[in-house]
Amino acid sequence: MDLALQTPWVLALLPLALLPLLLSAQRAQSYPSIEGIEADPLSVALDWMLRIVGSIAIVALILGIGGLHRLGRTIEKSGEGAHIVLLIDRSSSMDNTFAGRAPEGGEESKSAAARRLLKDFIVHRDHDLVGVAAFSTSPMHVLPMTEHKDAVLAAVDAMDRPGLAFTNVGRGLALALDMQEADPSPAARVIVLVSDGAAVIDRKVQEKLRAAFARRPINLYWLFLRTAGTPGISTVPAPGEEDTPQAMPERHLDKFFKSLGIDYRAFEAENPEAIALAIAEIGKLERSPITYLERIPHEDLKSRAFAVAAAALLVLLAAKLAEVRLVPSSEDA
Amino acid sequence: MTTKPMTSPPPVDLPYRIVWRSRSVRQGSHRSTQSGAGGLFRDLATLMEYRDPRRIDMRQTLRDPFGTLHVRRFEEKSEIGVTMLLDVSGSMAFHGASRKMEIAAELATVLATSVRRAGDTFALYAADSEVREELCVAPTRSRAGEAEMVAALRAYVPAHRGAAGLIEAAQRIGRKRNVVFVVSDFLLPEQQLEELFDALTGHDVVPIRISDSRENAELPSWGLMELTDLETGRRRLVAMRPSLKAEWQRRIEARRSFFRSLASRYGREPFEITDSIRWDLLGAHLATGA
Repeated sequence: MDLALQTPWVLALLPLALLPLLLSAQRAQSYPSIEGIEADPLSVALDWMLRIVGSIAIVALILGIGGLHRLGRTIEKSGEGAHIVLLIDRSSSMDNTFAGRAPEGGEESKSAAARRLLKDFIVHRDHDLVGVAAFSTSPMHVLPMTEHKDAVLAAVDAMDRPGLAFTNVGRGLALALDMQEADPSPAARVIVLVSDGAAVIDRKVQEKLRAAFARRPINLYWLFLRTAGTPGISTVPAPGEEDTPQAMPERHLDKFFKSLGIDYRAFEAENPEAIALAIAEIGKLERSPITYLERIPHEDLKSRAFAVAAAALLVLLAAKLAEVRLVPSSEDA
Repeated sequence: MTTKPMTSPPPVDLPYRIVWRSRSVRQGSHRSTQSGAGGLFRDLATLMEYRDPRRIDMRQTLRDPFGTLHVRRFEEKSEIGVTMLLDVSGSMAFHGASRKMEIAAELATVLATSVRRAGDTFALYAADSEVREELCVAPTRSRAGEAEMVAALRAYVPAHRGAAGLIEAAQRIGRKRNVVFVVSDFLLPEQQLEELFDALTGHDVVPIRISDSRENAELPSWGLMELTDLETGRRRLVAMRPSLKAEWQRRIEARRSFFRSLASRYGREPFEITDSIRWDLLGAHLATGA
């Protein structure tokens, strides 16, 4: 509990809280002799209760006057989640529908569907740290790893700017790996690659990526938004056709990922429902324990202190009203 | 000052009587062991035993075959010493339905007057933890200082604790048998009470217990009371309720009955004053002499 006061010097008044323990607020009345009459337990308990309540009232008032508040802070908690980098393809083809043409009317482009579903996914993942990177011709560092959901959602939203023509998967992946590299925590790491096509990764870049993936375990999910009629990940070339990365980049990228020796899964989606299923699947898989920092905002406890004081004073008032006089004051000389 | 309910006006004389005989040589109004001229016939003695030829009993002398001269002897009336032993310890400061010290002062006034008029000597000793000299009156038959004594008693506010001085005062009374009015609320510890009565053996002890209805019968049935013990100064919060009130009254009654049995063992039956003095009852109580 990080409690603090706005005016700490009022604590100097705190010794006043001892007063009710030493002195009673009740009006003392003389009685010839209570010797030989044992104190009854209820009275003794009540006596102490009133004294303690009196102290509580004074302490609460002092804390209220001093402006008690709880400092904002971050605490480490553990939950389920992962550190995720969303690597999103910004190539212009993402702005087309799954049918491969510009969206018209109520139609949704691939990027819009992906955005919508990713945002949904982010919102439901409470403890994840999410970074966003985009790539087309060259990779773009959009948002570093953060727990701020609003920032992530905004970053995902920003993906609807019209994209460029090329798809440079290799450099995008390198950037995502760098982002993961910067984070020293032992949490599970995930890269979600969202793209609607693949490209040839340079052999040199391939080696670098292989080395980077070998350094630390990273789970890779490839959400392949396949446009109708284009070759898919598992499309085997017909006999006589060329089986080269240039001819069938998807198939070869998949093969490359598989050869990395990491946890890798590819989801091939040809419509928004399939994307939703794939994202739900990723959500289900990434449930490893994680420690995360939770921010607790500054909280004003002044009113609570005053409420406690008021309650204590009410008890004291009730005791005062319950007081009876041995000798009615009207008979006083 | 409010007017107290007075059942009867204070009398001029308290008809106190004794069942024993005074040994005092001074003339007074009480039966004594002294023989003399006046008063009640006691017995016959030979002239040789009691050389007072003025009281020769002719009838008895003539009836005596040996011709011895017989003299009649009469009982002389003598005075006695009357002492008021007043407890002025803290508990006597209680001001409930009436002031205990007020009652004590009133009692002292009437007693001093009565005693003076009966020709006896009156002494007052007031004590708490020690003898309070400023309130004490040495044995006297004079009325001088009576008004001052009463004024001092009325003005006195008991503040000291304990009643050990009462035992010292009891020893000051002396060896001569006195009628000792012990005026107190008798809220002493049992052992001290016993010591006090022990110190008073040899005297005709008349315990007069002053109590207040507010401290016992008229305790409130419900409510919180912060009570300060006038004797010890200790404070106690009491959540009064009917069951506790009954318990308190039981305790007070137990204490009272202990005092009564002790008082009866050492002296006369105690006389109890609650709130105001019933003079008629007090007179009747003292007139029996026992």
